[in-house]
Amino acid sequence: MRKRTSSGLEKTDRLTFSIYLALVAIGWTMVLSVGYEPDIWQRFFSAPIGKQTIWIGISLATFFAVFGIQSRFWMRAAYPIYGLAVSLLIAVLLVGTTIKGSKSWFVLGGVSFQPSELAKFGTALAMAAYLSRFKTKVSVPGDALLALAILGIPMLLILLQPDAGSALVFLAFLLVLYRSGLNPAWYAFGFFTLGALLAGLIWENTPLIASVLLFAGILLLAYQQARRRQALWATGIMGAGGAAIYWVAPQYLNEILLATGVLFGLLALLMYRQNKLRLGLLVALVAGWGIGVAALSQYLFNQALKPHQQDRINVWLHPERCSEQGSLYNLLQSQTAIGSGGLTGKGIFEGTMTKLKHVPEQSTDFIFCTVGEEHGFIGSTIVICLYLLLLIRITILAERQRAAFSRYYAYGIAGILFIHFFINIGMTMGLVPIIGIPLPFLSKGGSSLLGFTIMLAVLLKLDSKRLQLA
Amino acid sequence: MDIKNEVLYRIYFLFFALVLPVAILLFYKTIEVGIVDGPSWRNAGQSMYVEYRPIEAERGNIFSQDGSLLATSIPYFDLYMDPNSTGMKEEDFNLYIDSLAWCLATYVDPSYTPGGYKEFLIEKRLSGARYVPIKKKVSYAEKRFIEQFPLFNLGQMRGGFIARKRSERKRPFGLLAQRTIGYVREGAKPVGLEGYFNDVLGGEEGTQPMLCVDRANDIWMPIEDLDAVEPQSGDDIQTTIDVNLQDITEEALFRAVEYHDADWGTAMLMEVETGAIKAIANLGRIKEGWWETYNHAVGTAVEPGSTWKLASMMALLEDGFVELEDSVYLEEGSIQFYEETLEDATYFSREVDSGTVRQVFEMSSNVGVAKLVDRYYGRKENINRNEGAARYISRIKQFNLNLPVGIEIEGEANPYIKEAYSAEDNWSGTTLPWMSIGYELRVTPLQLLNFYNAVANGGRLMKPYLVSEIQSNGSVDEQFRPTVLKKSIASEQTIRQAQSLLEGVVERGTAYKLKSEQYRFAGKTGTAQINYKRTRRGKRVGGYQASFVGYFPADDPKYSCIVVINNPRKHGFYGSDVAGPVFREIADRCYHSILDLHEPFNLRRKPVLATEQLPAYDAGELEDMEALLAALDLEFFPEAPGGMGMLLPENDSLKIVPKPLPAKQVPDVVGLGLRDALYALENRGLQVKVSGAGRVIRQSLKPGTPVRGQVIWLKLG
Repeated sequence: MRKRTSSGLEKTDRLTFSIYLALVAIGWTMVLSVGYEPDIWQRFFSAPIGKQTIWIGISLATFFAVFGIQSRFWMRAAYPIYGLAVSLLIAVLLVGTTIKGSKSWFVLGGVSFQPSELAKFGTALAMAAYLSRFKTKVSVPGDALLALAILGIPMLLILLQPDAGSALVFLAFLLVLYRSGLNPAWYAFGFFTLGALLAGLIWENTPLIASVLLFAGILLLAYQQARRRQALWATGIMGAGGAAIYWVAPQYLNEILLATGVLFGLLALLMYRQNKLRLGLLVALVAGWGIGVAALSQYLFNQALKPHQQDRINVWLHPERCSEQGSLYNLLQSQTAIGSGGLTGKGIFEGTMTKLKHVPEQSTDFIFCTVGEEHGFIGSTIVICLYLLLLIRITILAERQRAAFSRYYAYGIAGILFIHFFINIGMTMGLVPIIGIPLPFLSKGGSSLLGFTIMLAVLLKLDSKRLQLA
Repeated sequence: MDIKNEVLYRIYFLFFALVLPVAILLFYKTIEVGIVDGPSWRNAGQSMYVEYRPIEAERGNIFSQDGSLLATSIPYFDLYMDPNSTGMKEEDFNLYIDSLAWCLATYVDPSYTPGGYKEFLIEKRLSGARYVPIKKKVSYAEKRFIEQFPLFNLGQMRGGFIARKRSERKRPFGLLAQRTIGYVREGAKPVGLEGYFNDVLGGEEGTQPMLCVDRANDIWMPIEDLDAVEPQSGDDIQTTIDVNLQDITEEALFRAVEYHDADWGTAMLMEVETGAIKAIANLGRIKEGWWETYNHAVGTAVEPGSTWKLASMMALLEDGFVELEDSVYLEEGSIQFYEETLEDATYFSREVDSGTVRQVFEMSSNVGVAKLVDRYYGRKENINRNEGAARYISRIKQFNLNLPVGIEIEGEANPYIKEAYSAEDNWSGTTLPWMSIGYELRVTPLQLLNFYNAVANGGRLMKPYLVSEIQSNGSVDEQFRPTVLKKSIASEQTIRQAQSLLEGVVERGTAYKLKSEQYRFAGKTGTAQINYKRTRRGKRVGGYQASFVGYFPADDPKYSCIVVINNPRKHGFYGSDVAGPVFREIADRCYHSILDLHEPFNLRRKPVLATEQLPAYDAGELEDMEALLAALDLEFFPEAPGGMGMLLPENDSLKIVPKPLPAKQVPDVVGLGLRDALYALENRGLQVKVSGAGRVIRQSLKPGTPVRGQVIWLKLG
């Protein structure tokens, strides 16, 4: 029986809530530190830290307000919220305000709001609602396509703004689909394509990539041969020979490629003779696809990306081609800030790099630099661990749900947090390209903090009622 | 695999294949960046300091009505070299340094020898300098030239060539309307149109990342980066100012202030129908001569003196208190109001006992006007509905004379009109009579002119304006249409009577000496006392302010004009002697340049016989005409060959007479074909704009105007 008087607060998962509070507190300290001056307390509310304090207050109030709402409400409101989010995304394309080149904001009387924040939440709800429907089976292509459409529509609309960073976040829902049983082969295919694309961009040497891919195919086919050991040995020796030739005389690459191709063809023919045509064809197709993607990567890079996007990719994959004071500058400054923190950091309020505005966006997207500079390796590790702990805890929460809706919703939230966490921290150190998305709970900025708070609050509310929901 | 196991397998996979590797990657990177490479990052942090700094936008132009540039920004470049540019390769530097040094020493700074320059650059490179000045204030063409030097032609990254764009505000016409065009300078109050339209002209600042190369001297080097935000150039504004009329006005005023040794003078010309200000000149005395020091026309409110009498007369007429032919006793030129004596300056009141109301105005009798105003407004009676002076003040307000006109330049002074019987305004028994003749109140020349303009415009009060369009990149962004402030400031009859009074001033009154044979104009003289002090023994006058305000041509007013000359010390001080001639000169020269008022000479009816048979009054290149006439087998009397000529029909033959075109003046091209007209005009450096087809029937610049690259409009027909 549900007690009407209880909002479920006492059954909140204390660990999750504590991590949340800890991250928010760290964020507050960092924002304070970036803008710190001895007289900050006198003009507290006109400084950024004052605004952040107010937003934290609003977020906490919202957290408890969410707990006042019945948990079943979110199941019923899932599609309407999603619909609202999508219509706002359409509206923002028509009447939105352009800030920093993307038309992704509504500005009303000094308060700005990004509908993509709502879209993340709405999509998490809608995805959960759809996947938890009794009739839905993601193994059926139609259902899988519909599920993809649920995440694809907002993603596409956000890409039109254009805000590639926020759009990327929606890939988090592929994790939910994976958990709900979508065929892993698709994911393997996706990663393979991504890998071929990156290989093409990194090495810019299609014959080499083609040779490697064909060789991998040959290995696979050799593995299928009756005399497996001998076949593998033979291929291995030939591969080593080819690599050696390439090492000594790279100008013979085309000949190596030709030889690999011929060998691959012969093996495929052999498969045909052995009535294993389907396997041979599949391997050939996949290898061909990979070669095609790698060959086209340069073309795609030049045609599909805008100059500033090309710049970002170059900073990531080919930093040696970038100007230190130009496009590489942000990353260098960010790494310099983190690096200068050393093991224990310079101490709070002592971070000169971040304070002197060497680092761009140092209290929003690059707030991790402040952590690194002022608290060093130890501080960074603590923050990363807190996020990992949060992610693992949410996964555990997800798996203990009885209601499929709650479970998929939890996975959705975990996915979103994961992508934000990985990309944001990764970009400050050059692991991933620089993409402007905030670090959840830490970055300055009201709408992001409020958005993540609501997502987490709904999750905890659902969890607190897990025994009543089925 | 059962379902539960598969789910578990999927979770483990997620964790081990995605989350764990990411976590490990992040830890690895934190260790690498923070601990392994920490020290080197710490050193790097000291050397680089980049900030996004604003770059100024190019300021918009100010055009005159005919498209001449009144103010423009000329871009120039400061050139620097970064001998330690990050992309510069040792071998490039060594390879090109000799030729670069040679080029710089030969073309840029001959005080160096090529060897000396090379040494200098090598020394700079070794000392780690990042920002070596090459040359300042070079033109675009020169920058393009220097950019092509060896090493520099590799660009900023590899070649270390840095060009910083700056701009300088220029007024191609110099002093012309300088104060009205104004300026915006750091640390000074913005002035004129530049100040008022600063937001429009200024454009939007851009931002550009810049590297601090010298912290002590705050020197910043721009860095090439795609993140730079290009500044948005400012919009252009087109003013109503006509360069020719402005030139005429300013020149006439200049001669007068100089001749009369005045303190300052102002003259303004306004288009009657629209309120567009065509010319506005202000000349003040400075040590070196005359300068547009202050916009007196807009910013100085003064006691206008006799020019105000029009307002008083119109009040009396509007209330129906007087007729123009009523007789007034003139008290032999002197009348007592309480303790004060008011005297006439005109001889008229000493010659006659009494005059008509018309004569009082035309001869500018202080006694007459003050007496009339005092008689009808001095006491609260039935006739003025017991309002007394308040009724007079309400008439003044009806004429909008108590309000500023709201011109688009900064600093318009407010008029000062006392409220009737107000203790706060020190209203006394003598206030009304003195007010009636233009004392104890203050208006600016512009406000007074606007009032006269309304009279000329049949009572319709226009809002004076200086800016007709805002253009961005040549297309019209915003257009300012003439604005009506008040449909009618007085009844039709009052306006007609006022017009006839003003015409009378020139026909018979104080300004009869200024009368012109060619056209009629109307106006009122004014001679106000300034810096006077009332003492027990009478009045000590510190000087005079001569003014004339009126409009022309009287029958169909096109322009209204005011001339005010403050404190003339030589050659008289009366409005009719000092300001009047300036008005007349402006009016004369404007009249001649108003195309609509003159008939083009080749439009006159051609002789009947000649028009049917002979091409008469056609003009063109002499040789061409001769060839043509010869080909047509027409007889003609040739003149000396070469140059331009015109065909003149004689009784029974054709004669070609030469039509010489003066070298440094705008030639008369009316009657020429377009080809010949273009040849004649463009050779003199004029910019030609054409409308219509056929032969030239009108030209916008008067023949004889000095040529200085103006735009000339030709109408073909």
